[in-house]
Amino acid sequence: MQFRLEKRREPSQFMLYATPVAAVALTMIVGAIIFSLIGYDGVGAVREIFLTPLTNAYKWQDLGVKAAPLIIIGVGLSIAYRANVWNIGAEGQYVIGGLAGTGIALLTYGMTGWWILPLMVLAGMLGGMAYAAIPALLRTRLNVNEILTSLMLTYASVQLIYYLIRAPWKDPMGMGFPQTRLFSEAARLPFIIPGTIVHLGVPIAVVVGLVAWFIMTRSVFGYRMRVVGAAPHAARYGGFSEHKTIWLALLVSGALAGLAGVLEVAGPFQRMVPGFPTNYGFTAIIVAFLGRLNPLGVIVAGVVLAITFVGGEVAQTTIGLPNAATGIFQAMMLFFLLAGDILIKYRVRRVVPQPSQGAA
Amino acid sequence: MPYRLELTGITKRFPGVLANDNVTFAVKPGEIHALLGENGAGKSTLVKMIYGIMQPDAGEIRWDGAPVVVPNPKAARKLGIGMVFQHFSLFEALTVLENIALGMDAKIPSRELEARIRDVMTQYGLLLDPHRTVATLSVGERQRIEIVRALLVDPKLLIMDEPTSVLTPQEVEQLFDVLRKLAAEGCSILYISHKLYEIKALCDSATILRGGKLVDTCDPKQETSRSMAEKMIGAGLKDIVRLEGRSFGQNKLAVSHLSTQKAGHFDVPVDDVSFTVRAGEIFGVAGVAGNGQNALLDALSGEIRSDKDAIAIDGHGLGLLDTTGRRKRGLCAVPEERNGHAAVGDFSLSDNSVLTARDRLGMVVMGLINSGAARTYTGKVIADFAVKALGPASTAGSLSGGNLQKYIMGREILQKPSVLVVSQPTWGVDAGAAAAIHQALVDLAAAGSAIVVISQDLDELRALCDTLAVINMGRLSPARPTKEVSVEEIGLLMGGVHGATEAQDAIPA
Amino acid sequence: MDLTLAIIVTVVGASTPILIAALGELVVERAGVLNLGVEGMMLIGAIAGFVVQFHTGNPYLALLSGAAAGTAASLIFGFLTLSLSANQTATGLALTIFGTGFSALAGSSYSARPVTLMQPLLPEQLADHPIGRVIFGYSFPVYFAFVMVVAVRYFLHSTRAGLILRAVGENDQSAHSIGYSVIGVRYLAVMFGGAMAGIAGACFPLLLTPQWAERMTAGRGWIAVALVVFASWRPLRLLAGAYLFGLVMTMELYAKAGGGVLSVIPSELWAALPYLATIVVLVLISLRRDATTNAPACLGKPFLPTN
Repeated sequence: MQFRLEKRREPSQFMLYATPVAAVALTMIVGAIIFSLIGYDGVGAVREIFLTPLTNAYKWQDLGVKAAPLIIIGVGLSIAYRANVWNIGAEGQYVIGGLAGTGIALLTYGMTGWWILPLMVLAGMLGGMAYAAIPALLRTRLNVNEILTSLMLTYASVQLIYYLIRAPWKDPMGMGFPQTRLFSEAARLPFIIPGTIVHLGVPIAVVVGLVAWFIMTRSVFGYRMRVVGAAPHAARYGGFSEHKTIWLALLVSGALAGLAGVLEVAGPFQRMVPGFPTNYGFTAIIVAFLGRLNPLGVIVAGVVLAITFVGGEVAQTTIGLPNAATGIFQAMMLFFLLAGDILIKYRVRRVVPQPSQGAA
Repeated sequence: MPYRLELTGITKRFPGVLANDNVTFAVKPGEIHALLGENGAGKSTLVKMIYGIMQPDAGEIRWDGAPVVVPNPKAARKLGIGMVFQHFSLFEALTVLENIALGMDAKIPSRELEARIRDVMTQYGLLLDPHRTVATLSVGERQRIEIVRALLVDPKLLIMDEPTSVLTPQEVEQLFDVLRKLAAEGCSILYISHKLYEIKALCDSATILRGGKLVDTCDPKQETSRSMAEKMIGAGLKDIVRLEGRSFGQNKLAVSHLSTQKAGHFDVPVDDVSFTVRAGEIFGVAGVAGNGQNALLDALSGEIRSDKDAIAIDGHGLGLLDTTGRRKRGLCAVPEERNGHAAVGDFSLSDNSVLTARDRLGMVVMGLINSGAARTYTGKVIADFAVKALGPASTAGSLSGGNLQKYIMGREILQKPSVLVVSQPTWGVDAGAAAAIHQALVDLAAAGSAIVVISQDLDELRALCDTLAVINMGRLSPARPTKEVSVEEIGLLMGGVHGATEAQDAIPA
Repeated sequence: MDLTLAIIVTVVGASTPILIAALGELVVERAGVLNLGVEGMMLIGAIAGFVVQFHTGNPYLALLSGAAAGTAASLIFGFLTLSLSANQTATGLALTIFGTGFSALAGSSYSARPVTLMQPLLPEQLADHPIGRVIFGYSFPVYFAFVMVVAVRYFLHSTRAGLILRAVGENDQSAHSIGYSVIGVRYLAVMFGGAMAGIAGACFPLLLTPQWAERMTAGRGWIAVALVVFASWRPLRLLAGAYLFGLVMTMELYAKAGGGVLSVIPSELWAALPYLATIVVLVLISLRRDATTNAPACLGKPFLPTN
């Protein structure tokens, strides 16, 4: 029996949103098989990673806290990727956003006032934006590929953390640990549900997703991003300059990554530490794709990826699954999703094999 | 003597289309056989099956009397079938020699291959330097590579797919000489075209296809162009309706000393172009592809900016404005490439209307898109221009080429632009749609707009335009009233400078 | 004098994996495919090479395993992008994420377990003299990289198969219509790229740091991708680029070791230098007029025959 691909007349909307769901389901099935084959409790691993965080109400707060930065960064990336601007340095912009917020927190150390947090947020967004402006400048002025520059800047940004917390920003009372001092009260993000770790960043993430969805579907800005990504030549004909679009895409995604960074440092961390870069910026790439570059989808995908993070930690303690397994599950999800993409524009038809004739 | 090639009951089906329906005809040795039909009649599909690119769903191919299956182009070449494609399968970054080597199935040392290439080139007067990079060659020269490549395998059947659409009239004559010489040596030629006068001039017999079905096989020398055209198109031909003795209004569009920068390696910029178009006038720009037409359209539409006064409407300079700014001032444009330039294939028609009509028709309020207005306008375009589409929500990519072109032309014309610039308005469009587009352009001009038509189709320009100029290597000839210029004159202008440089560059073997 | 020689030896060692990986990617890109998963394939090759070296102590077997593992990883990429025409950029990123996770999982039980470094290829007597050491004192991969530069160059420009590969990268539709298997050629190129990335990865435990560490390739795969752009898709220029980066990375090592004047600058800046240098190099190359004209015309575009 043979199969053949046949182009659909119209791209399938059903497949567009069914494939991410199928990708997650396939990841669970194939993941269980593979991990069983290499000697782990495969079914247990899938149960702990994908289901326990949902069934255990105590883990929900963790989900929210992990999902927030993924959603905020993922929304930004979904906007940039729509325009075919491949910002893969969100991790670096997240780091710089966190550092900018830290700078304000340290400057205002010991002070009080409602204005400190908004100032930190502003600094964080500007920091992420500024760091994303470098690839934007190089791409628009010199046609340097933004994938490579934004990624290289990520590696550099991590070294910047190490330097700052080793020398100028080091906690004087920290007994030599390379970290900053704990932020003062006014520079910490408030918890919104008493008795939990759910901070203000969680509702902010949801709002960011909703606003972005409205802008992307209804506004000329959203149209610009979509048309430049779908057909750059047509966009130019329609009056949308490619350079301006690249700038907008990188600045918006950089600002959102920076926002996520400052919310993380002011929320869960409350100080800058060497472990601040936690790969949210890279995982958000998966979030953006799994959410089909649609901000509403990104909210859902952010929660899914947060589940795997929280579940990965659960599996580590309960069945001794190495933490790296989470990364494999996440990559598998992306693989299955990308494999399913072809079903959006093509359908699979069964071909009845014809009796073959000898060639001349 | 058996037929060289014999097709019996060839049928090929694509999703939703019957591309070839029970087609039967035969080609004799040494015969020049025309395959005639409109775009979409199934000519290309048919020859792709002969050349092994596709397989027929039913039917039989016989070669020199024996039934054969042609599983791939390699097998076709082994049989002695050569093909020159309409869209050349050339590699721009590689040399002529490398390109030809790639097309050869046998591994021939490059020195020996070069000697054989030079032999063929001298024998048929196809002069080229084998070591030049293809990117630096003109379209006519590129076609010679394809022909040389096909001739190197001593074909017994040469398939030519619309070979003259990119050539000047003089180049066409040279090509015909080569083909006649080949036929005299016993090579059969299957000549695909929809240009009737060419077929009458060249071919011994003609097979006419319409909608995938065989209509007739006839002797073109016994037919009139009109009778063949009617067989090809079916229904009676429609002529463009226009008022005789129209007068033109004031100068509307004034282009003065317009030049563009060379953008890419393969780009031909516009060089000091000046012309004026009056209200009610249709101004035609003829020329062989790749002589600056794209740059001219982009410079007029606003994709490329220029000096402020290089382009003016009613005396107001627009040169510094982008496409949006120019549209607001009444200048709309339709580029040659439909999918990906004039329209976004993955977008709905409604979203495609937003692309160019959002400002003139008030589809944007405070940065937000009024999708209802876009939908209504798109519905009107679909209705007024008889676009075959399910509705405004259909994606542009789901439309056939002709319907998409009707939509695009309708989208611009219904904005009532005071100046409309169009490139290749009926390229690859069936006759019915082409007639509708031509009529719409004539009507727009009659309503007082100035229109610029850039086209490679001389017949179209001569039927449509009041005034003609020719673009060659980015320079525009002086404009002349259409009635006063002959095809030969236009042909000379089209070849002009180009032909001269070609002859100098070529290295005689 | 001795220091200079020592530096040269270190530079050559540091450059070798980048050079090998970049050569593989160069061939892949010449065929019109952009595989951004080099970093991931290197990590997979690194852990495969490490595990085999740890258990067998046979470095050649380790290199071979690295190549096999890299090829296997590249086949995932190939299947998605070539057979299912998935987006190459996204798939490459996914491969890197996968490689990072896979190598971390496979290596989780090997941390802090040393292996032996690969021994020099040629007899010790040749490397006795300092100059002799600079020329003859390296292990197999260093010479392998050199030979491959020449071999890839010869293949691309002087063989028919190389011509076909370039043709597929320049114009896939034409190559298809002439009758070449675009997908087949690209699969072979992608597999070659995977094998080379795998070998490059295996060089890390065999040549540089004789143990397993998560993410031990530290972005070198991305630098290899950047080097291909820097080299304008030409093998000989790749050689120059790789050695330039080897020098930058060697300076970092000396700075960390407290190497005199170099230590005035914070060590973190030295550590960031290879990445910043990559950006600078990309900027410099973009200033050349022919910067992108050498890029294969079909680079990164999925191929679906139009007929």
